[in-house]
Amino acid sequence: MLFSSIPFLYYFLPAVLIVYFLAPKALKNTVLLVFSLVFYGWGEPKYLFLMIGSILLFYLCGLAIGLSKTRPWQKFWLIVSVVVSLTLLGIFKYADFFVESFNAVTGLSIPLLRLALPVGISFYTFQCLSYTIDVYRGNAQVQKNPISFGTYVSLFPQLIAGPIVRYVDVARELENRTHSWDQVALGLRRFLIGLAKKVILADNFALLMKLFRESGEQSVLFYWMYAIAFMLNIYFDFSGYSCMAIGLGKVFGFHFIENFDYPYMSKSIGEFWRRWHMSLGSWFRDYVYIPLGGNRVKTGRWVFNTLVVWMLTGLWHGASWNFVLWGLLYAVFLMIEKWVPFLKKMPDVLRRFYVLLVVMLGFVLFNAADIAQAGSDIACLFGFGGLPLTSPETLYYLRSYALLFALGFVGATPLVRNTVNRLSAGEKTCKVVSILEPVVLILLLLVCTGYLVDGSFSPFLYFRF
Amino acid sequence: MNKKIRAIGAACLVAVWAGLTALTWFGPDQAESVSERRPLEQWPGITGESLWSGSFMEDFGDYSLDQYPLRDPFRQIKSLFHYYALQQKDNNGIYIADGYAVKMEYPLNTTSVNYAIGRFQHIYDTYLKDSGSKVVFAPVPDKGCYLAEENGYLSMDYKKMFTMLRENLPWAEFVDITDCLEGTDYYRTDTHWRQERLLDVAGKLSEALGVTAPRAEDFTVTQLDTPFYGVYYGQAALPMNPERIYLMESPLLKDCRVFDHETGQYTPVYNLDKLSGRDPYEVYLSGTRALLTVENPNAPTDRELVVFRDSFGSSLVPLLVQDYAKVTLVDIRYVASDFVGQFVDFHGQDVLFLYSTLVLNSSSTLK
Repeated sequence: MLFSSIPFLYYFLPAVLIVYFLAPKALKNTVLLVFSLVFYGWGEPKYLFLMIGSILLFYLCGLAIGLSKTRPWQKFWLIVSVVVSLTLLGIFKYADFFVESFNAVTGLSIPLLRLALPVGISFYTFQCLSYTIDVYRGNAQVQKNPISFGTYVSLFPQLIAGPIVRYVDVARELENRTHSWDQVALGLRRFLIGLAKKVILADNFALLMKLFRESGEQSVLFYWMYAIAFMLNIYFDFSGYSCMAIGLGKVFGFHFIENFDYPYMSKSIGEFWRRWHMSLGSWFRDYVYIPLGGNRVKTGRWVFNTLVVWMLTGLWHGASWNFVLWGLLYAVFLMIEKWVPFLKKMPDVLRRFYVLLVVMLGFVLFNAADIAQAGSDIACLFGFGGLPLTSPETLYYLRSYALLFALGFVGATPLVRNTVNRLSAGEKTCKVVSILEPVVLILLLLVCTGYLVDGSFSPFLYFRF
Repeated sequence: MNKKIRAIGAACLVAVWAGLTALTWFGPDQAESVSERRPLEQWPGITGESLWSGSFMEDFGDYSLDQYPLRDPFRQIKSLFHYYALQQKDNNGIYIADGYAVKMEYPLNTTSVNYAIGRFQHIYDTYLKDSGSKVVFAPVPDKGCYLAEENGYLSMDYKKMFTMLRENLPWAEFVDITDCLEGTDYYRTDTHWRQERLLDVAGKLSEALGVTAPRAEDFTVTQLDTPFYGVYYGQAALPMNPERIYLMESPLLKDCRVFDHETGQYTPVYNLDKLSGRDPYEVYLSGTRALLTVENPNAPTDRELVVFRDSFGSSLVPLLVQDYAKVTLVDIRYVASDFVGQFVDFHGQDVLFLYSTLVLNSSSTLK
């Protein structure tokens, strides 16, 4: 079930809110667990067993690590949890990719499994891994209550699209959290802002991308519009979904970590990845990069560590060579930034332009069906596709989407947030903001509902991860 | 104080959300959408199999969209926002130019035009080649032909389409009726042209067919009371005023009978029963029917006409009837051209091909 859908907004969410707030404190986690399993099973009833199996696996492994008296046994149970969960992830997400690649190299024709990808498997597998690793490291207490643990793994606000919430970050709130009207109001506000990002901005950019792909009159300018539209589409899609997740978490008394911090304002690729999908970046840093030795190693080893982490980051996003290349592209630019100090001395405008260009080319690669299409798209962007500079269709859509692009550019900067914060801090203006804010939020709810009723929504991009 | 204002604001938001939820949960289901002219999804029903396969969830998604309370006003909110706030030039492929809702038909689909040409050639080879019929071909320009380019919208290459038709159908006299029409000759909210504005078109086609052109004084123009919301009204979902349908009535047409080969029944030329249906435009010759025959007992000759047509033909044909004893209308979207010979005996009747550019540019429905 998508957050940006009528079944979620007007059936599931109201139902869960009513039951949750009517339930006594002792049953609140049970309510969340049951509704979360319904939420998960709604899209993939058959994979509900996989979800319940994952909950049981990590719950038991966590218990076993906690009960084991010696380090080798603790390590054994940690390895069991890692191997089993990564094997499941491998089977469901990567098996066909590896078989296809193997077939291509060897000329064999081993049949593919063709399994449907369980929704959110990459997210909840990583969340669960953070739990057993942190318990093993002594950074987290063992969760003995299966309901609480099941609630953590399946919690619907962040189940299918993150942020990747670590157990230690919500362990206390799983046992004891407070609810207040203020928090509900803030949570709903955040949710609606995320919904608007997704429905009004991301989905309209997605529509332009669809029109581009269907067009028989592509041009160099149309390729640039497509590339920029995808940058904005994926940003508003993913950050919008994270906003909704964080907002819903707040409504239920949880404080999830932020996942985006205006990444397109970055002045280096390193900074970009500290602002984009922050929960994934920090997960790889803490559970892969640092255990490999991080950057306090010799240059050769650091290069190896960087390549491994970014190849895995690429693979996490999808089982395809263009995702691997996409990840490695960032590894290369991170190395360049480390070894070419000139980049840091460039004027800020040029540094931002460089980041945006690299990220845009990366996303063209990311969104291509395969490497051949990525190569063709990038060639067309730079005028090597034998296309005209522009066409009547391109100019029409440029005029039609001009305001949306402008809104996208502004929305990708902290300008609106800073302005609202400044006005809220002013003595006179703060009252105006207080009155206008709910009006704007109600309008956003109505407009988003209108878009959804008109049937122009598109599925969330990060579902496939 | 501000905290209080914020709390009240949040309460208002929750109240709106809760109100809409209550309407969603407890509002009555509707059978069909009048503006979109389609039946709405009904409650899918739960079975163990449908839950396990996920089909219930999928059907419920469609049901919840279709049965959302105040569906039309919400679609209007979306359209207004899309069109005016976001300054998008079209909404769902429909734009408003000079107060007319127009479907953006772009680009010219040459494959589709060639397919249509192939179907027409097949009809000619099968039925007309040796019949000695006089054949006229007239493409009907859609209103985008008059409104798109000058208002900055994408417009298909009509000139190229007409050239393709003219060059590939050499056995037909090509009649270009573009200069007989202008944007105002079409309904604001619908794809179709207005019958009361078609005398010039009918005159030009009559001339090509070699029959008497209709004269304005032979007709009485009657305005129907039924408000008419055209097909683009629902698709554009923008607030537009209803229109009125006018009938060109005459004593000659009153005496004509229309035989529907599908139902085996006779109806009048203007079937007023259709005014209460989904599409009041079907008042003309009962709308899109596979095979109709108009019998004119007062015809001065025994000449006959066969019209291969789409829905644009329904309102035009009554203006062409006067000299013909019998006019047969064939819509090869609903009857395969291979079967037409079972119902129509081709023996040298005049033949008119009348197809809108919209159908020609998207001709996969022609059989």
